[in-house]
Amino acid sequence: MKLNERSVAHYATCDSPPDKTGFLFKKGERNTAYHRRWFVLKGNMLFYFEERDSREPIGVIVLEGCTVELCESAEEFAFAVKFDCAKARIYKMAAENQAAMESWVKALSRASFDYMRLVVKELERQLEDIQETQVGVSCKPKSGRRPPAARSRSGASSSSSSSSSLSSASSAPAVSSTFSGQKNALEEAHSRENGVMWSKAPVPISNGSIEGASSCASWDGSEDSGINMSIGPDGVRAPPVPPRRRGASLENPFSPGTGCFSKLHDWYGREVQEIRAQWLESQ
Amino acid sequence: MRFNEKELISLSRQPSEMASELTMRGPKKGDVFKKRLVKLVVNFLFYFRTDEEEPIGALLLEQCRVEREDSLTFTIIFLDEAERKYQFECDTEEQCGEWTDSIIKASYEFMRKNLIFYRTEIHKLTGKDPLEQYGISDETRFQVSNGLQLKARETSSL
Repeated sequence: MKLNERSVAHYATCDSPPDKTGFLFKKGERNTAYHRRWFVLKGNMLFYFEERDSREPIGVIVLEGCTVELCESAEEFAFAVKFDCAKARIYKMAAENQAAMESWVKALSRASFDYMRLVVKELERQLEDIQETQVGVSCKPKSGRRPPAARSRSGASSSSSSSSSLSSASSAPAVSSTFSGQKNALEEAHSRENGVMWSKAPVPISNGSIEGASSCASWDGSEDSGINMSIGPDGVRAPPVPPRRRGASLENPFSPGTGCFSKLHDWYGREVQEIRAQWLESQ
Repeated sequence: MRFNEKELISLSRQPSEMASELTMRGPKKGDVFKKRLVKLVVNFLFYFRTDEEEPIGALLLEQCRVEREDSLTFTIIFLDEAERKYQFECDTEEQCGEWTDSIIKASYEFMRKNLIFYRTEIHKLTGKDPLEQYGISDETRFQVSNGLQLKARETSSL
């Protein structure tokens, strides 16, 4: 099967920061001796070079779908990268000390694209929840109110006990952090949060529920409250923007963060006139 | 450069985010458009001869750019060799848009930037690091500085 090897090699050596680098001993395929190689982990790709300053990698191990295990070996500080497919090769490696081994095992077991995607989805969900709550409360400020994400965390222990399936236990004989294990951990944490999540009954958004009252929307965004992507002028994908906030409606002054200053100015001007009229009457 | 081909082929059989029959043209001079089953799995784009089990090839979608040539055609350009373009022709404009969008979002680096953004935003709004409860706050791949460095040189998507 072909691979865009030159571009893959470029990814290895380009200036995007690597997730981990270091020397490891790698057991050869035909020559079963352990060879010292310079390893560079970027995303879900583990590159290995002959020397630290080699210009091109000798090879790459695509880590998607792998499991990482400590293994029994004559070699000290050994671990293995295993795959779940037929006739899959087992990549045996050894670190130079206990700390390095643990660090590599941890890094490699969380290197998959799927894992990253999971974490991103979870944070995206959390941010949406926080923003939904904040938009709802912006018109009725209540002191001491905190977003659900922060509140629910008081129930979950943030120490290693709750995240044991995500962190590698160095004392365990075999550490196997597969994707399904990680997913369960996040889902578990997720459901725990749901248990204390505030009800999501629709809160009337008084600052702009009137469609078309002000056409000056403050941010780019879509009509729905989903997070969307936007493209910057230089072609770089900007991170997704928060849900759109409507401009001020003339009926309600409580619209913080409105981008439409002229309308707000008009409204306050009118309010001042009314108050002045009332005051004059009372004289 | 060696790579774990068997495992990559196995990956090509995993459920995909997107799979369509498109016509595809390779980057070499003289390459012509051919009908291919194109399948997106994580940050790889696999292409097969229709009804063949094993892919002809795979493209790692890092350090690349996607361009819309016209309403039906998109191009993948790798940053290290901008003259080499992989072109794909779709059946409909909508399909073309979906593919372009999916490929842009298919890179690990793109996801990393999103994660850093969400992490920063949540921290701004709540004062808490959302990764702390999972015990992964210190992972290199989730660091803000990582993202900032990427931002300066990032041109991997349109």
